[in-house]
Amino acid sequence: MRNDLIIGMAGSGGDGIVSAGESLMSALAREGYYAIMSKSFGSQIRGGESSCRLRISTDPVLSPGGTLDVAVALNWEDFMRFGSELPVDGRTVVIYDSNTKVQPDKLPLTEVRPAVAIPVPIQETARQHAGTDKAKNTVVLGLLAGWFKLAEENVLAGIRRKFGKKGEQVLRGNERAFAAGLEFAAAHPVDLDVVMAAPKAANGKILLLDGNEMCAAAAIFAGCDFFGGYPITPSTEIMHFLSKELWKHGGTVLQAEDEIAGIGAAVGASFAGKKAMTATSGPGMSLKTEILGLATIAELPLVCVNVQRGGPSTGIPTKSEQSDLFQAIFSAHGDAVRPVIAPISVHDTFRMTVEAFNIAEAYQTPVILLSDQEIAQRKETVPAINTANVHVVNRRLPTRSELDNYVRFRVTDSGVSPISHPGMKGGNYLASGIEHNEKGAPTAKGDVHARMNEKRIRKLIPLKHRRDLFVIEGDSHAPLAMVSWGSLAGVASEALERARKAGMRVKLLIPKLLYPVSEEIYRDFFREVKAGLIIEQSYQGQLYRVLRMYVDLPRGVQSLARSGSNPILVEEVVSRLQQLTLDLQRGRVPEPEPMLG
Amino acid sequence: MSIVAEHEYQAKDYKSDLKPIWCPSCGDFGVVSAIYKALARIGRPPHEIAFVSGIGCSSRIPGYTTAYGFNSVHGRALPIAQGIKLANPDLLVLVAGGDGDGFSIGGGHVPHAIRRNLDLTYILMDNQIYGLTKGQLSPTSPRGLKTGSSFHGSLEEPVNPLLYVLSYGAGFVAQGTPADMSGLADVIEEGIRYPGFAFINVQSPCVTYGQEEQQLRVHKQKMQSLKDLAHDTTDRLKAMALAQEYGIKLYTGVFYRNPEPAATFETAVRELHDRLVPEARLRVDILDTFRPQ
Ligand SMILES: Cc1ncc(C[n+]2csc(CCOP(=O)(O)OP(=O)(O)O)c2C)c(N)n1
Ligand code: SF4
Repeated sequence: MRNDLIIGMAGSGGDGIVSAGESLMSALAREGYYAIMSKSFGSQIRGGESSCRLRISTDPVLSPGGTLDVAVALNWEDFMRFGSELPVDGRTVVIYDSNTKVQPDKLPLTEVRPAVAIPVPIQETARQHAGTDKAKNTVVLGLLAGWFKLAEENVLAGIRRKFGKKGEQVLRGNERAFAAGLEFAAAHPVDLDVVMAAPKAANGKILLLDGNEMCAAAAIFAGCDFFGGYPITPSTEIMHFLSKELWKHGGTVLQAEDEIAGIGAAVGASFAGKKAMTATSGPGMSLKTEILGLATIAELPLVCVNVQRGGPSTGIPTKSEQSDLFQAIFSAHGDAVRPVIAPISVHDTFRMTVEAFNIAEAYQTPVILLSDQEIAQRKETVPAINTANVHVVNRRLPTRSELDNYVRFRVTDSGVSPISHPGMKGGNYLASGIEHNEKGAPTAKGDVHARMNEKRIRKLIPLKHRRDLFVIEGDSHAPLAMVSWGSLAGVASEALERARKAGMRVKLLIPKLLYPVSEEIYRDFFREVKAGLIIEQSYQGQLYRVLRMYVDLPRGVQSLARSGSNPILVEEVVSRLQQLTLDLQRGRVPEPEPMLG
Repeated sequence: MSIVAEHEYQAKDYKSDLKPIWCPSCGDFGVVSAIYKALARIGRPPHEIAFVSGIGCSSRIPGYTTAYGFNSVHGRALPIAQGIKLANPDLLVLVAGGDGDGFSIGGGHVPHAIRRNLDLTYILMDNQIYGLTKGQLSPTSPRGLKTGSSFHGSLEEPVNPLLYVLSYGAGFVAQGTPADMSGLADVIEEGIRYPGFAFINVQSPCVTYGQEEQQLRVHKQKMQSLKDLAHDTTDRLKAMALAQEYGIKLYTGVFYRNPEPAATFETAVRELHDRLVPEARLRVDILDTFRPQ
């Protein structure tokens, strides 16, 4: 019996492999399993290769996992295009369409022989039982349900719901295709421990959604009233959800003529007193930069979501990367400090999105919510969130007496000044990108400029003490440490668990607040650390470099970083930790590698 | 915009304490005075007015009024103004800025502001030059103009802001000059009263870097009232024909006023809200959308 199963499937766009993954996932969720499903596509709009990786577990899971337990290839060209995204090793069960005419001992996999390779006449079965190639994915569902004992009843119920609308013939065809898949599995038992254990218990009121949907829903929860944006992969689904739902809450969604106008309108709405958001990805983020600076100096709350993808420029729009950290932190001209926060999972996207609004409103600042394609577009089972415990912050409006002699940018102890908005009598002021004095009047005076810079930066300092925006796990006195962020945090967290089971003394820090850098929290964390890994998906290792800039990193702390679309797997992290443990035992402190660029 | 004067306002009620940094005799002084006058006639209290601009000499203008001002960044006044209006449709929203701000760096936003048709009044302070950066070509500079950035003379044709906005379907298009202060206040007032996107091109001379033939004394001789010409302001094609003469003639007054103003974006938003808000679940229950089917 297995408690954890990772299935990777690939085919061409029309094969419906992603839709099969989705059907399987919702059946499993209803059954009480936990699951994560990430999708990956080639860059064609329609048709090109597509894949999904579905991880099923009896316990909550944090990462899409490493090597596949089960690989399904509808054809080998498409499967191979995903390379290291769908890694196969000696324990993998490979299922593939026999119409590929590939012999089981001659799979086009580089340097690995899977545990078993089973050719199945998938296309032929689909044609025979449903009369169409379109039912290939339904045959696959039958095979998976059969071999791995995966929610047969619920999958069938899902098929009935999905195809019920498409007429009797289509429905019956798919039912037969599913049954044929089950039968094939029964007739060809696999001599391996592949059967999934039953779910522990119904895991309560489960939700099934992806990170973009979670972000949009959380924005509505947080009180967002205005969204201005421009479509860009992989962030667009945020706008899609809001365009359906935000209006119902009296809000407005504007598809602007470009990203500048999108963030411009959002800043305008914020000036007018509403909670406002924009969302984009790399290229759009570059365009928004100037207005982010405007929001900083005009002290206007704003949430700007960047769902990171491969860059620079158009880069790889459909693949995840964490290479916009420098941009998020440093792209502003002038002394502009703006909070950058990153969620670590779909589940966490709820809290971090609400947090982004809370910080924006409390400190009157733009906040960058740095998501990534992996989190944004993967679906997760999420346990019901008790929203009663989630605090929502609103901006500090001036009191009646403050309005009597209103000073918009008054330098207060906290650095936060009460903020009025048009329509408020007595609150009239000039918001401007030009440096201004406390009353808002434009100025070029050095002393005023220095004082206002000081105020705008000082007001953010309390953030550095927000220990709740950092997760620390593992053995607190461990000599070995990991730091990871965003979607890679799940990989690190799982590696931590495995490394500790293997007897290593190791700990993990996950910063969700990436900027301003909380020197104190890192200092405490690294105090007894001798060696470690900063794990992230970017060529340069951007977090590693940021930490080297702000924190005295122990010499043995290294960067484990790699360009997007080349996953860092749990197994690999564990073996790096093993190596570091050996080094430490031998009294060797590993040298940091020289950095390129 | 349906306007009910709540109590009497005077032009001075809209004038702030900030002292303009403009060069003495800059045309922009006339524009801001005309705005004070127009606002007084309309009578909305200053705190219900949002006045948005970009960057440039002209874009300093919101700070010289008592309205809620937003002197933003170069070229982005229109998107910001639209966000404000959508966030609070009850506000009176004015937009102003230079020809460079509006038709060069911000030019991409103009067609979209027009087609969305929010109830905004956009006052272009057109001096055919970049003032703030000390005299370079603007998109409305005439071909051949020698400036700091066109030492040997401009090689480009200018854009024609009047024709541009008329072609994109603006519902209200007018022109004025501080050489005719009462006419200027009139068109600004009329533009504000127009229920939809209104565009007013103000020929506002730059006395420091502008051309000789763009100064007020020339305007005084050149300007020709469209009213005196008995122009039919409901005739868009005629308006376009007159607009063709931008740069040659100086017509003042209303070129076009849509006799049947189209529904504004805000109205459509209100209708959508009326339809959708009643079916909404509570914000706190938004996650229920994601129970597996
Ligand atoms: C993004 C950006 N680019 C350039 C500038 C420099 N700049 C400021 S105002 C201006 C043009 C001014 O001309 P116009 O908009 O016609 O206004 P005027 O000063 O003539 O009133 C320029 C180029 C800027 N502030 N921001
Ligand atoms: S430079 Fe020209 S536009 Fe600017 S203030 Fe002086 S006269 Fe006016």
